[in-house]
Amino acid sequence: MKNALAIFGFTVIVTLFYWYVGQQVPQKETYPPKTLEIRPDLNTAEMVEIGKEIVSGKGTCLSCHTMGQSGSLRFPDLGNIGAVAGTHKPGVSDVEYLAESIYDPNAFIVEGFLPGMPVIHKPPISLNDDEILCVIAYLQSLGGTPTVTMQTSHKFSGAAPPSQGAPAAAAAAGAAVSENLDGPGIFAKYGCMACHSVDSPAKMVGPSLYDVGKRLSKAEMYESILDPDAKITAGYPAGVMAATLKGGGFYEKVSSKDLNILVDYLVSLKGNK
Amino acid sequence: MSKRKIPFYIISLIVVVSLAVSIKNVAESWQLQRELARAQSVAGEAAQQAGPQITPENSHTVEYRKFPFVGSRVAVWVIAELHLMFAAFVLAVPMFALIIELIGYYTKDKRYDHLAYEFTKLLSTSFSFTASLGALLTFMLIIYYPKLTTYLIAIFSPTFLPYVLLFFAEAGFLYAYYYGWGKFSPKVHIALGVALNLVGTTIMFIANAWLTFMNTPAGINESGGLLSVWGAITNFTWMPINIHRLIANVAFGGSIAAAYGAYKFLGARSEEEKAHYDWMGYVGNFIAIAALLPLPFAGYWLGKEIYAYSQSLGIVLMGGTFSWLFIIQAVLIGNLFLAANYYLWVSMERIEGAQRFRKFIKYLLASITVCFIVWATPHSLVATVEEARRMGGSHHPMLGVLGVMSAKNTAVNILILTTYISFLLYRRGNREATVSWAKLGNTVQFLIFAVVVSFVVFLGVYGYFVEAKVRIGLSVPQVLSVLFAMISVTVIDIFMFKNAKSIGPIRWGKIPARAQYALFFLAVTFTWLMGLMGYVRAGLRQHWHVYGVMQDTSPDAFTPTLGFASGVVSVTVLIFFTFIAIVFWLSGLSGKKDWEAGTGKTAPSKGGLDLAEEGQS
Amino acid sequence: MNYLVLAPIVLVMIALRFTRLNILGWLAVWWIAAYLAISYGIEPPLPSSIIGMFMGIVTLALLAYLTVRTDDMNFVKRAAIRFLTDKKYTLPLALTVIALPLLAAFNVYLDAAKAPQPPAAGRTVHPPPPTEITFKGKKIDLVNGVNPYRELQAEDPEAFRAHLANGRKVYFQNCVFCHGDNMEGKGLFAHAFDPLPANFQDPTTIAMLQETYLFWRIAKGAPGLPEESTPWASAMPAWEHFLSEEEIWDVILFMYEYTGHKPREKEEVH
Repeated sequence: MKNALAIFGFTVIVTLFYWYVGQQVPQKETYPPKTLEIRPDLNTAEMVEIGKEIVSGKGTCLSCHTMGQSGSLRFPDLGNIGAVAGTHKPGVSDVEYLAESIYDPNAFIVEGFLPGMPVIHKPPISLNDDEILCVIAYLQSLGGTPTVTMQTSHKFSGAAPPSQGAPAAAAAAGAAVSENLDGPGIFAKYGCMACHSVDSPAKMVGPSLYDVGKRLSKAEMYESILDPDAKITAGYPAGVMAATLKGGGFYEKVSSKDLNILVDYLVSLKGNK
Repeated sequence: MSKRKIPFYIISLIVVVSLAVSIKNVAESWQLQRELARAQSVAGEAAQQAGPQITPENSHTVEYRKFPFVGSRVAVWVIAELHLMFAAFVLAVPMFALIIELIGYYTKDKRYDHLAYEFTKLLSTSFSFTASLGALLTFMLIIYYPKLTTYLIAIFSPTFLPYVLLFFAEAGFLYAYYYGWGKFSPKVHIALGVALNLVGTTIMFIANAWLTFMNTPAGINESGGLLSVWGAITNFTWMPINIHRLIANVAFGGSIAAAYGAYKFLGARSEEEKAHYDWMGYVGNFIAIAALLPLPFAGYWLGKEIYAYSQSLGIVLMGGTFSWLFIIQAVLIGNLFLAANYYLWVSMERIEGAQRFRKFIKYLLASITVCFIVWATPHSLVATVEEARRMGGSHHPMLGVLGVMSAKNTAVNILILTTYISFLLYRRGNREATVSWAKLGNTVQFLIFAVVVSFVVFLGVYGYFVEAKVRIGLSVPQVLSVLFAMISVTVIDIFMFKNAKSIGPIRWGKIPARAQYALFFLAVTFTWLMGLMGYVRAGLRQHWHVYGVMQDTSPDAFTPTLGFASGVVSVTVLIFFTFIAIVFWLSGLSGKKDWEAGTGKTAPSKGGLDLAEEGQS
Repeated sequence: MNYLVLAPIVLVMIALRFTRLNILGWLAVWWIAAYLAISYGIEPPLPSSIIGMFMGIVTLALLAYLTVRTDDMNFVKRAAIRFLTDKKYTLPLALTVIALPLLAAFNVYLDAAKAPQPPAAGRTVHPPPPTEITFKGKKIDLVNGVNPYRELQAEDPEAFRAHLANGRKVYFQNCVFCHGDNMEGKGLFAHAFDPLPANFQDPTTIAMLQETYLFWRIAKGAPGLPEESTPWASAMPAWEHFLSEEEIWDVILFMYEYTGHKPREKEEVH
């Protein structure tokens, strides 16, 4: 018995020694790469999680919309959207209402606000149908109970290109950049016209660029593209353009050549069209 | 020895102080473990929330379930490893039992036959443990990883029934081999042993197909659909793993059998018993070390196939976080060689005349220490910014060259040669060559060693000046030259000591107890090493169930720290030895006298006596 | 190697051979000699983590030597027991018993008194590459891909030289500032960085890697390093924003040409 105990004690000591050796090497945990993969078998709770990430990330919604703020706002607050979405248009369910305000934002404008929201399923934000469903799930959860599933369909289903099941981040970075475009082509490609008008002084989400060639020097133009918050035109909120460009992957995609052509094009806009 | 007692208070003071010295270190590690565990349980609970109600229609959509407290991964990990360890033991023991039986059959030496029988005695209990653990593992996979299990079943469906049927055959042959000892003609009995080994090996090969498929899937199309079952079975790492496991099983089984001998030796009362179990431990250890020697090369082959399958997977194995796992492995293997040599040196004390060779011990030890250091030197060092700056980068100009494969190959080859020399000295212990050319023979042997050692070192250094592909090829001539040295020296030795004069007897049983503890040390180290290498084989897949085909989306998908893995391996090893203690105890029961009413206790063992009579040579 | 330290150690060891040290004395001498040689005898000095590991192995080996012979074992046992029980050792024993906790306390004090330092980092020098990357919208296969201009070496040496010349231009216009004009990682800016720029002359860097691996590291730079390579403040830029695909392949050709290394070839498929 004494022997057996001694042997067992010895075994424990040797094992502890190797355990100790294991503690002496660098300790590092490796996590699987994060993907916003949207699989058709997600449950609603998972959709809400993904929707939340899209709203603050790729969707760039929060550059304009606020969460739980009141007072004089430029865009509607989303803090309680899940509770009020079904009440804005009589006879329209909250899902249909939210879908409409994403796919066709200017069809209905909440009282007290101005039109100006870009279409979300087209460039530069280009959310696909599945991603938008997740966004709707998240919006429903704000003040309400989410009801959508991946199988939910609405009036606009199929309007956006279908999800390819590829990681959303990879899909965004994978856009090809090699074609030779002129100034207006580049302006269109990066979706600048979603927020800026070039052929009239009309104010949209951002200031009109109708006569920007007269207002700004070339250097200032580079600055306002590369660092939009450095100078803000009076009457517009800071951070919107920076967040939109970042979220859409503009800075990763644009080449210096494209940027030069774009600025040259802007210089040529003198308001005399 | 002095009869005076050491005052108790001094002992307790020393104990308390040494505890205090190490407590800070341990506390820090413990803190880390606890934080990890907490993070894990939080992650697990998050995943557990918000699951829909299970109905017959949607029950197949469940991908994971959660095992309480430790999580599914750790639970399956521990059970799989235990199953593997017992299976390795059960597959290995018949292999060397058969070889020992064959030696006994050809030399007509009865004591080999008895030894083979004694090894086999450990089998029947272990076999039941293996089967029960295997069933437990299967159920746990079905319960906790239903999606993965379903996929593997879909791929390998034709292999499961043969596997189970072979298990019946294995059971049949095993019990016939064990209970039929001495009941059949020796030839029939040996045939049974051969059949037992063939069936066991086939079983292992089938199971290996499943798990190597998870690492290096083949025979499927891009979306994971089955193209060919045979293709899935013969994937890249299947054969390397088969060979690697076959050899490793023998080494592991031998070390456990040696530990059994040591356990019986320490408990033995009579001189005969001591002599017998001393010898048994020696044979077990010899088997373990003999099988250990080719193991690194089987390992290289496996690593090479992994590289060939995918460079990414290869670099995950050797270059990423797992590179530190191989430093832990180096410590374990260095210890194995050290302990194996130590055992031989200590056991020379029971050989009269071996005192002559004591003076060589320090040189052998120095060689082992240097090789150990070379092998354990990591490629990228842990250094503070200050230290890295002084080294001019994360590579030390001198140590950097010790960190790569060339140096490690050289070190392991020299380690093998050193161990061989220790054994050679042990063999010669009580003998003196009488042939006329003894002096010449010794010189030739010495020259062979010198030439081979310089050749191996030369190739190791040369490896730095050639491209990777050639460098990998250099390990072949290194191994071949070491093999050549061992074989040629052995042949010379056999002829040189044919009619050697005996200086004195080998006094079996007169071995210090610490040599037996070296055997336990070897067994624990082998087991721990097996647990560690099992972890790297599985962990290599990172966040994949089937690499590149089926992703692990459970909360356990992350790769834990090596410290955490060491903890799991340690626990597994302790559970395994608890089970093994039960096996030892049970197989010891058959040797005891029947219980008799009135005396209330059993008479001391007599089982070993009749076997041990011939234990001395 | 620092011979000024190593030579006295060897001399003292030789001198001690003429004294009559017992086994304990010898082991202590060996231990101290090994410690001094490892700590101070190697230039540049080893990191403390490595010294700790080496001394651990040396200690194990010396312990094995101490216990391998029964006479030595018994000698040490007797000496220890004499020290613990003999009346004449009471004072040294008491001092030892007091000194041990003091030593422990001193060790704790040293740990606590250290100025804050960034943690020692075991960095993954060759992190595992992804199986493919997207380079300006084009997929590059890192597993089966090859340098498209490598085959020119045999087929069209003229064109190959043109690619090499282009690679040389690319290297000296972009890379030389950090990786140096000898490719030893000792460029003008190198000394400001942590980690230091890679040394391509070292046989353990590019000589051990396939060309596609280099393409990945050049194209994606430090921002493209996988998470497990952290903590990592590498200053390597992601050159995909500045160089074309051809320029990157060319500079890879040039790096191997200039250092004389050969890229690791893909292992054959069995």
